[in-house]
Amino acid sequence: MPIEVILPKVDMDMDDGIITEWKVASGDRVRQGQILFDIETNKSVMEVESPASGVIRDLAPITGEPVAVGTVVGWIDADAEAGASLAAAAERTRTTSPSAATAGIDHATSSEKRAASVEGASVAPSDSIRATPLARRAARMLDVNLADVAGSGPAGRIVEKDVAAHAGRAPESPVASDDRLVPFNPVRRIVAQRLTESAQRAPHFFLTAQIEMSALQAALRGPQGLRAAPDRPRASMTVALAYLAGRVLALHPLLNASIEGDAVRLHARINIGIAIDDQGDLFVPVLRDASTHTLDDLAHEFARLRAAVRARQIVPDDMRGGTFTISNLGMYGVDAFTAIINPPESAILAIGRTTDTPVGRDGQVVLRPMATFTLSSDHRIVDGVTAARFIADLREAIEHPEGLS
Amino acid sequence: MPTELVVPEAGTRELSYAEAIREGLAQAMQADERVFLFGEDVGVYGGAFGVSGDLFHKFGPERVIDTPISELGIAGAAVGAAITGMKPVLELQFSDFVTLAMEQIVNQAAKIHFMFGGKATVPMVVRLPGGSGTGAAAQHSQSLEAWFAHVPGLKVVQPSTPHDAKGLLLAAIDDPNPVLIFEHKLLYKTKGPVPEEPYRVPIGKAAVRRAGRDLTIVGSSIMAIRAVAAAARLAGENIDAEVIDLRSLRPIDLTTIAASVRKTHRLLIVYEGVKIMGIGAEISAMIAESDAFDFLDAPIARLGGADVPLPYNPVLEKAAVPQEDDIVAAARRLVREGRA
Amino acid sequence: MAIAPGSRTIAAQATERPELAALSDDGLRVALSRMHLIRKFEETAEASYMRGLIHGTMHLSIGQEASAVGATLELARDDYILSTHRGHGHCIAKGADPARMFAEFFGKENGYCRGRGGSMHIADIEGGNLGANGIVAGGLPIAVGVGMSIKAQKQHRVCMVFFGDGAANEGAFHESLNMASIWRLPIVFVCENNKYGMSMDIARAMAVANVADRAPAYAMPGVTVDGNDLPVVVAAARPAIERARQGGGPTLLECKTYRLRGHSKSDRNLYRSKEEIEAWREKDAIRRLESELIAHGRFDEGELLAIEQAAQKTIDDALEFAKASPNPDPAQLTRDVYAD
Repeated sequence: MPIEVILPKVDMDMDDGIITEWKVASGDRVRQGQILFDIETNKSVMEVESPASGVIRDLAPITGEPVAVGTVVGWIDADAEAGASLAAAAERTRTTSPSAATAGIDHATSSEKRAASVEGASVAPSDSIRATPLARRAARMLDVNLADVAGSGPAGRIVEKDVAAHAGRAPESPVASDDRLVPFNPVRRIVAQRLTESAQRAPHFFLTAQIEMSALQAALRGPQGLRAAPDRPRASMTVALAYLAGRVLALHPLLNASIEGDAVRLHARINIGIAIDDQGDLFVPVLRDASTHTLDDLAHEFARLRAAVRARQIVPDDMRGGTFTISNLGMYGVDAFTAIINPPESAILAIGRTTDTPVGRDGQVVLRPMATFTLSSDHRIVDGVTAARFIADLREAIEHPEGLS
Repeated sequence: MPTELVVPEAGTRELSYAEAIREGLAQAMQADERVFLFGEDVGVYGGAFGVSGDLFHKFGPERVIDTPISELGIAGAAVGAAITGMKPVLELQFSDFVTLAMEQIVNQAAKIHFMFGGKATVPMVVRLPGGSGTGAAAQHSQSLEAWFAHVPGLKVVQPSTPHDAKGLLLAAIDDPNPVLIFEHKLLYKTKGPVPEEPYRVPIGKAAVRRAGRDLTIVGSSIMAIRAVAAAARLAGENIDAEVIDLRSLRPIDLTTIAASVRKTHRLLIVYEGVKIMGIGAEISAMIAESDAFDFLDAPIARLGGADVPLPYNPVLEKAAVPQEDDIVAAARRLVREGRA
Repeated sequence: MAIAPGSRTIAAQATERPELAALSDDGLRVALSRMHLIRKFEETAEASYMRGLIHGTMHLSIGQEASAVGATLELARDDYILSTHRGHGHCIAKGADPARMFAEFFGKENGYCRGRGGSMHIADIEGGNLGANGIVAGGLPIAVGVGMSIKAQKQHRVCMVFFGDGAANEGAFHESLNMASIWRLPIVFVCENNKYGMSMDIARAMAVANVADRAPAYAMPGVTVDGNDLPVVVAAARPAIERARQGGGPTLLECKTYRLRGHSKSDRNLYRSKEEIEAWREKDAIRRLESELIAHGRFDEGELLAIEQAAQKTIDDALEFAKASPNPDPAQLTRDVYAD
């Protein structure tokens, strides 16, 4: 029995999705687990795996229109059946071009080619690989073994985009010069779209505060270590700041809110997103209920999330539902920066590096480890004083982190 | 006279292809008394396709000469006049009749400069109306330019627009070598901007009529016109075609074609001459031998004339040569399916 | 009149026929020198060929010297000739340098055609020889063009075009004579009727008995003469040249002659008898003339011998020149395919 390939539900509240790209072509041999296509939901772009091994056919066209969850978008003839269905297809081809034998040179050639491609698809010769010159060139340059690449062209011919996809790169630029034109991958596309929206819609204003970090540094280094057990991950500065911010946000609901039309939704839960970069892509995994979990729990959860990002196994669930975002560029030596609010949130906290800075204390100039925090707020919801009060409380929490547990 | 391609400014007046050639002839004859036009019915009658028009009245019977029906004889006369200081422009009434003149064009005109160690030159021009679509059937509808593109010593050009018809004619008249200009009958009435002053379109240089990214369509004469129209339709299907108008078959602008193929990775060649052993075969081979080969992401595709003498019946006549629909379908097949 | 020692007797002053009387001593010296040059050139070329020094083949004109020399004797240097594949004689008759001719036959770089043309395409453009032609009747249409050119440029030149009996059956012959006549071109058509195409006797190939019988069909004078009788040939050519030069139009002059050698070097003479060849050898043009000159006391044997020996020396030197000349460089293979 042929196996259905359906548009799967990948998100809790998902009704439909849009197929953005097929990774295989009709007639290709596929393996169970191999990525068949990308779908875009309203949250993110997901890859869909093959439910079986065999030859795939009758792929739904890419129209840009949403397709209901559960719709059949392709069929796989599992291996035992591959031969039978191909024979049937070849028969259809033969009967629909009866004049092939008597037609002129052009006609004979094209029907020969069609018949060849139908038959060829059922056999995967290992010693003779069909690949275009451009694909071979790409394989040389990307150090890809053509034998490992599935071809999407006629008769299973490997074309350049197959090699590029295999290497995890974008297809070659149309301009064969030294520049590389890299089309957006799905993540980049979403980020670009959403941040543009945020920058254009939300009237951002910025507050800056230099905060002394010595107390927090000591607390994190201390023998209590803020760890439940030796094998639990140690909390990083960023996690600690998320923990503290979570508690402070509880006192400043407008910074944990979203605009909805001309109303403000004050979120009940405080879910803090932490901006992470992985190989040039931006991810914002969310620490749920940051205000109620222990620091230790947060550290543990953050470690899990970061590992998932690195393995590219982060799921939409882990990135949903954020109500506030923290972005720390201190480890890159950035002193201070202003961040763009992550919509639909109302504020984002940008953290610079901690560095020994001369400050005045008790009439003396002393060196203290200071970091510059910049809060971007959406002025439709948050006023200057509201933001200022949040910053004041945050400073207090950071500079006096007693009871950090 | 400018030697670079002159891009007509907005507001340049329009002439038909035939009028543009006539204007070019008039300007050439005005400027140089060695230039003369001769052929069957070019004088009093004004030319079988109306190209010479009133030139006979303007320049008189010694500059615009009616000849007997003697293609071999007049082709040889062009050679003789050219090697002794004149600049003859010979009009053969239908390009099919060049078969009668082959001896003088191929064995004499093409070879004299070489055989005589560079001592004599043959600055002659032969204008030949070719192509199908007028119901003139097998002996009056052929596209034979590939034969001559095969002969060292000749130059072969095919203008597709009125602008190029005048510019290539003037370039051909200036050229010290024998140049064959294959005009297309269906193009004589087409109109386009033509600058008034004399100018040359360089022989050996193709024109990119439309820039694109997804495939390169190469054609000449009426096929270049059809390719541009096809490209406009293809754009509506999200296929972005680059169209190259060859303009010159010998010498041919391989550089422009190769650069385009390196960019688009796909090549479709469209020509009216019979498909096999024609210019499409040559261009395919040239590209396969060039460094553009490594940038091909699909087989090279060709659309050429069917393997049949041109039929009389109009439906069959159309079916025998590539039409705009065929170009659209072939481009689609090449881009979407990777098939020639 | 003065009596030179041992040269003349009163008895020898029997009346010369008018054709001979019309020739000056200087003219006769030139004629004899040229005929000897041709004869010796051909014999030497033949010997070199048999020794393997010459590539390809050759078409020798031994036995036809009088028609080549007689027809061209009274042409001016800037008059044109067009020749045939059997054109060594015409080339020398028009004043070419045998040294550069041999160099060309040896394929050398300083031959007339830089070694690119060889025997069948020998040309001396500066000397007015617009080339031998490898195509039978190939020069006839070209001559029409040369005639048109002379008229257009209002020059007083004449174009003399040689062709054989076989060429008179080519379409090009008929087209060319027709056009030369309707346009009154300054052309002298000289047919060297040596009785055979390659192997085909003219009597079997041609519908009329003499090539000149066709002249009335093209409304021009036609004259048939003994091509091996130099004074007669000169006498027949003179009015034709004059007529052409004065704008009176073309003439067809037929010189009946005979080639003592085969068509080319591979001809085994299977189509004619030894007796026929011997009979014509008796009528050899050079010896005939020399006998006549001695008989009329125009020259004595010593003078004639001196002319012959001078010719031999020129030919001997020419051969040495050719042997010592450099070969072309293969790297220059495609030079002169096109003129710049």
